[in-house]
Amino acid sequence: MSQGGPDILRGTLDLLILKALSWGPAHGYAVARWIEQATNDALAVGEGTLYPALHRLEERGWILATWGASENNRQAKFYELTRRGRTQLRAEDQNWRRYAAAVFAALDAPALD
Amino acid sequence: MPRWTRFRKLFGLEPKGDVEAELAFHVEMRVRELIEQGDTPEGARRRALERFGDYERARDACVAINERRRTRMDVAEFFTELRQDLGYAVRMMRRTPAFTAAALVTLALGIGANSAIFSVVHGVLLQSLPFRDAERLHHLQMLYPDGTKYDTLSAPDFMSVRAGQRVFEQVEAMDVRPLTMLGAGEPREVNAAIVSVGMLDMLGVKVAIGRAFAPEENQKGHAQVVVLSHGFWQRVFGGDPAVLGRTVTTAGNTYTIIGVTTTASSLPDPADAIFPLEFDDSYDATAQKGRRSEFLEVLARAKAGVGPEAVDADMKRIGAQLQKTFPQSNDGLTLASIPLRDLIVGDVRKPLLVLLGAVGFVLLVACANVANLLLARGSARHGELSVRSALGAGRARLIRQLVTESILLGLIGGTIGLAIAYLSTNALISARPADLPRIDDIRLDATVVWFTLGAALLTSLVFGLIPALQATNEHLLRGLQESGRSGGGGRTHRMRATLVVVEMALAVILLTGAGLFIRSFMALTEVDPGFQPGGAMTLRVSLQGADYANADQVRARVAQLMDRVRSLPGVTAVAVTSTLPLGGLGALNDFAVEGAPPPPPDVNAEIAVAGATPDYFTAIGTPLKRGRFFTELDQPKSPPVAVINEAAAKKWFPNQDPIGKRVLSGGPHEIVGIVGDVLQRTPGQPAAAQMFLPYTQRSSRTIRLVVSANGDPLALAPSVREQIRALDPNLPLAEAIPLTEMVSRSVARPRFYMSLLTLFAVVALALSATGIFGVMSYSVAQQSKEIGIRMALGARAADVLTAVVGRALTLAGLGVIVGVAAALALGGVIRSQLFGVTVFDPLTLAAVITVLMLSATLASLLPATRAARIDPVKAFRQ
Repeated sequence: MSQGGPDILRGTLDLLILKALSWGPAHGYAVARWIEQATNDALAVGEGTLYPALHRLEERGWILATWGASENNRQAKFYELTRRGRTQLRAEDQNWRRYAAAVFAALDAPALD
Repeated sequence: MPRWTRFRKLFGLEPKGDVEAELAFHVEMRVRELIEQGDTPEGARRRALERFGDYERARDACVAINERRRTRMDVAEFFTELRQDLGYAVRMMRRTPAFTAAALVTLALGIGANSAIFSVVHGVLLQSLPFRDAERLHHLQMLYPDGTKYDTLSAPDFMSVRAGQRVFEQVEAMDVRPLTMLGAGEPREVNAAIVSVGMLDMLGVKVAIGRAFAPEENQKGHAQVVVLSHGFWQRVFGGDPAVLGRTVTTAGNTYTIIGVTTTASSLPDPADAIFPLEFDDSYDATAQKGRRSEFLEVLARAKAGVGPEAVDADMKRIGAQLQKTFPQSNDGLTLASIPLRDLIVGDVRKPLLVLLGAVGFVLLVACANVANLLLARGSARHGELSVRSALGAGRARLIRQLVTESILLGLIGGTIGLAIAYLSTNALISARPADLPRIDDIRLDATVVWFTLGAALLTSLVFGLIPALQATNEHLLRGLQESGRSGGGGRTHRMRATLVVVEMALAVILLTGAGLFIRSFMALTEVDPGFQPGGAMTLRVSLQGADYANADQVRARVAQLMDRVRSLPGVTAVAVTSTLPLGGLGALNDFAVEGAPPPPPDVNAEIAVAGATPDYFTAIGTPLKRGRFFTELDQPKSPPVAVINEAAAKKWFPNQDPIGKRVLSGGPHEIVGIVGDVLQRTPGQPAAAQMFLPYTQRSSRTIRLVVSANGDPLALAPSVREQIRALDPNLPLAEAIPLTEMVSRSVARPRFYMSLLTLFAVVALALSATGIFGVMSYSVAQQSKEIGIRMALGARAADVLTAVVGRALTLAGLGVIVGVAAALALGGVIRSQLFGVTVFDPLTLAAVITVLMLSATLASLLPATRAARIDPVKAFRQ
């Protein structure tokens, strides 16, 4: 919940949202909470960027929105992954792992000789 | 149903509210969490908002995304629905081929006729003339005290305009006449434009090869050059660039070819060769002499922003100045100007617009007819529409579907119409009706295609919207329980009856117009032209070149020529004249009776003058009223004599005997005879005063040979040509035409307008008769049960028949009343086009009403017979 973490990389937020929704439909607040907890609040995901990202993903057809009743019986907008969204998540997941592995490998590599 | 329509409901109608609700929920959840963690409500709210960051920016970003998505979905939805509607429309068209064919034929005819006439109007009237700054070009005219306007000016007056005007950038003159040209293959007659050198530049005429005229080439002694038109160069020299530098000879002078114009270049009068005018002493703004020798067409380009009124006013001013400076020659005369376009197309503008209006009416009738068909089908489709309505399709959605079907019909009909227009426009151009000006500018170009497309779309809306509104009427769609067959019959039927009345009224208007044009054309052909064209043919011969340097040589050759032709078997009379009957006024000379006081200035002291040989009046069959014709004794040196027509006798010698009187017209002449009036212009214009002089005393190089014969005069043409060739193989001969051709040419335009208008009227009549047929058939089918009951109760077949026909005649009668009223109201539009008949012509109106009633009766006879044959037992079972 701190403001001090590193800025989230472009594209990473999309991946985290897709991951958050991979367990089932959730509203925006739940997505925000999941990201906070899953990253130990290390990433500064402001709601100001989260919601436009959700709408953008919906526009791309990766997620789908429906109004429904929340756990405390309030009307809330629930998002769920579409088939395309799930495919996208798999691809992004692998991309990210390859990317991160490459960066780690580089960071751990010995000096030039 | 496409996937996204499910999401649509999510947003409600307003994306902003949707986003705000979503974000509010988020903030509320956060506040609750903070309170659970022990915060005060106020603190929690503040921290939640703080944590959220820029609320408005996030909200706006979301709204923007949603709106973008929605627009995209709307467009996609539109196209998906359009695809559905089109697919549906195509299926409907296939399922009802008879309906489709009837509608398409009607629309194609209506739209095609409109496009064809529009292409004529566009080519002739709307498109600008093919000259540079064509809208700024004006033609100057001499205005005589009696109101007559002449399109030519004299050389000194032309120079005076050049010197004194304030409104033009350029003033140029041109003399257009046929010349015999030697040195270009065989001797030939060419249309020569003899111009002041600036004319080419002013009109935007450019040379493709060689050069145009140099400024000094109007001066005396310089004018020995010629520019050929592109067409003439192609036709005569086969497009050989080596013609430059070669010479041609006309009237004994030799000219060097210096250039050839581009294909796009043209002059107001068709010209094969362009020569520079030779500015002799008469081209002098201060000269007194030669002011009444008018032979120059003067064209001028107005300065930018100077309108026709200002130009005309300036010409009037110069005219007044000339009256003061040169009273002997210019007293009572003034100058006027007319935009060149008006001069060229002025007298066809109105009739063409009338035709365009008429063909527009035909399209309206076509629309009404198709609307009628659609209304009938709308009733048949009532069940289907009810089902769709019950399944949730809104009224707007159903109307859209029906209108899509109409537009598809309209577009297909328009495409076929375009093909019809293409064919008929080509046929029209190749028929060359009535020397319509600018006929070569008529073509089916992009503008016409756009017009057709627009007409098709507009038409579709006109004929599609009423039936669509009617078919989707709330009452009609309410519930499925109503039986499909009788759905909303009353209202639809009233609407259809109204459309039929409208069609009938339009047909009446067109029939009345056509009737008046027919009557006026008949009146024109019944006018006695004053001569008997039946047994004569005519041939134009030009005697030019070295062998005909003086008048004696010309006369001698003409005498030989007539002798040879006279000797041909079958020939009854041979004559020569300078001006043919119905061939125009020809030369106009000043005229005065010797010893009589000068006429008041408002009398045109002019007379049309023609040369003629003794047998001329015999050859054309015009009677001598008094005195004598010319004889072989009227020779060049014998006392000058003249024969005048009755119009001249009436004008100049009221209550006197003109025989023996002496008149002055380019010299004194003694009047020896009076002949009957021969029409000079058109049958619609009375004969003007005319004076004939013996050919021997007024010889011209261009002569019209008139040969009358027993039997077909044209059969003589080959031997006549042979005789002339035998005398001089170098003489250019025009084609021989029967004299009757002069008569038919003189009424060619009225005939053209009449034919088209009649065609339109007949189409409109046929369409409206179809309309009546359709409505009556439908109503008989609807009321078969009722008719059956009446027959079971004792009505005879004849009663039923009369009742149905009577209904049709009631509709037709209403149409007649509305149509006649409208026709009379519109009559003023064509009044000026009529001859010998008024707009309120009882005969025409009676004929129109009869024709219409008769066709309504015929059209309703078949449905009526069907009604009379209804079997009551079967009708009950239905």
